[in-house]
Amino acid sequence: MNENSQVEILLIEDNYNDAELAVRSLKKHNLTAKLKHIDDGAEALDFIFSKGSYSGRDQLSGIKLIILDLKLPKVNGLEILTQLKTNEQKKMIPVVIFTSSSHEKDVIESYRLGVNSYIVKPVNFQSFNTAIAELGMYWLLLNHSPGPAN
Amino acid sequence: MDTKPKILIVDDKPQNLRALEVVLKDLDIELVQTTSGNDALKATLHNDFALALLDIQMPEMDGYELAAILREEEKTAHVPFIFISAVYTDNLNVFKGYEKGAFSFITKPFQSEILINKVKFFIEKHQQEIALHKLNDDLKKKNAELELVNNELESFTYSVSHDLRSPLRAMNGYAHILKEDYEKLLDEEAKRLLANISENAQKMADLIDSLLDLSRMGKKEIAKQTIDMNKLVREVIHDLEVNRVSNEQLQWNIFDLPKVKADPELLKRVLVNLLSNALKYSGKREKPVVEVGGHTKEAKTVFYIKDNGVGFDMRFYNKLFGVFQRLHKPGEFEGTGIGLAIVQRIISKCGGEIWAEAEVDKGATFYFSLPTDNTSKI
Repeated sequence: MNENSQVEILLIEDNYNDAELAVRSLKKHNLTAKLKHIDDGAEALDFIFSKGSYSGRDQLSGIKLIILDLKLPKVNGLEILTQLKTNEQKKMIPVVIFTSSSHEKDVIESYRLGVNSYIVKPVNFQSFNTAIAELGMYWLLLNHSPGPAN
Repeated sequence: MDTKPKILIVDDKPQNLRALEVVLKDLDIELVQTTSGNDALKATLHNDFALALLDIQMPEMDGYELAAILREEEKTAHVPFIFISAVYTDNLNVFKGYEKGAFSFITKPFQSEILINKVKFFIEKHQQEIALHKLNDDLKKKNAELELVNNELESFTYSVSHDLRSPLRAMNGYAHILKEDYEKLLDEEAKRLLANISENAQKMADLIDSLLDLSRMGKKEIAKQTIDMNKLVREVIHDLEVNRVSNEQLQWNIFDLPKVKADPELLKRVLVNLLSNALKYSGKREKPVVEVGGHTKEAKTVFYIKDNGVGFDMRFYNKLFGVFQRLHKPGEFEGTGIGLAIVQRIISKCGGEIWAEAEVDKGATFYFSLPTDNTSKI
């Protein structure tokens, strides 16, 4: 991906296998041209708020969707979700939680924080494929997003 | 380490105190002697008494007044009294507060045996109360420990199941990708092997889900309601029939069922499992028949589900309700072997029992009982 082009999909996922499967699925539907994958919670926050090694420019100016796992090293998904949804500029970015956890507490807390969608990763490959492809297509192509406020 | 029970003695005449001391000398008790109501009250501040012997005729504060005050204080409200008086009086209304605690009378001059007997009686009662309190405390502690262990088990189960699912997802995914991306390079056998990998990964995921289910059933709170079994059974059958893909007509014989008081969600789960089993194991019959009936027998209401399917070998009855135990080959009938384990857990939780009878190739009957709720109209 060109350093100067905008990231449209931000995939925050620490499990390398899940990330590979997700990217492959999105690729099959031509949705990965502008995808960025980050595998660490703290680095994800740096990216989102243009800090640390990502300082300099607004990384999320073209963002259309953030796919977020809950279990992440250093900073977990719910923490990232909180920071996104309590930030005036960033709270309108669609966030889909894509996680192994079907724990009711996690679901409730996520919606309470304002997540747009909560999807549990299926073990069955076809289902996984479908889930990722559908959510990618929905949020990128079908849904009208306001985009981040300027 | 038990300390000796303490007895409070109140008498304004020291010689009476000494006399009581002598009478009670062989008992395993500790005496606290006081000569006035005020001293007695002071003594109660520093001691827990199992019993109080009170002289009635005392200057300043008589025995009845003292007793009334003792009854007012929470610490001494339940201490039993033995009133020692020179004159028997049946003016109990003089003693205010007699309803609150036990008491007895003895008149002077008294026979030692009688006093000893009364004292022993109250001491024993006191000790029984202490033992009971201790048992209660122990029970509360054990309960707290148990709850802690249960909670830990729940978090363990959840994290294990989710952590176990990740690699399964990867296995399944990569096997599929391999098949898709290298389709041209793979022969039929290779594809079969890959399919096998995927299947097993999926199977493991199903087993994990089943285990999670089982543990969840154990935790569910029961919310009892009166349930119309005729309606519920028909509902479940309808749902099962809708999803059933087979061409033979299955005959349902449903007798009039008694109402029962139970948790509707849990009971539905039981019925879904037992009825779908009946369907499954009689599916190969030309004319499958499933019969459902029930009756109330005093304290228990018993239901049964009978099918004319393949049955099972009663020699292996003890495995019937085991976790992941199956009495048939996976090739013959699909299943994880956890359904009956879940059903048994539910029925147990509801205070009932489940059992079965079967004969190979003749069919099986599953019975379950639930406690009859006497307040529900049947």
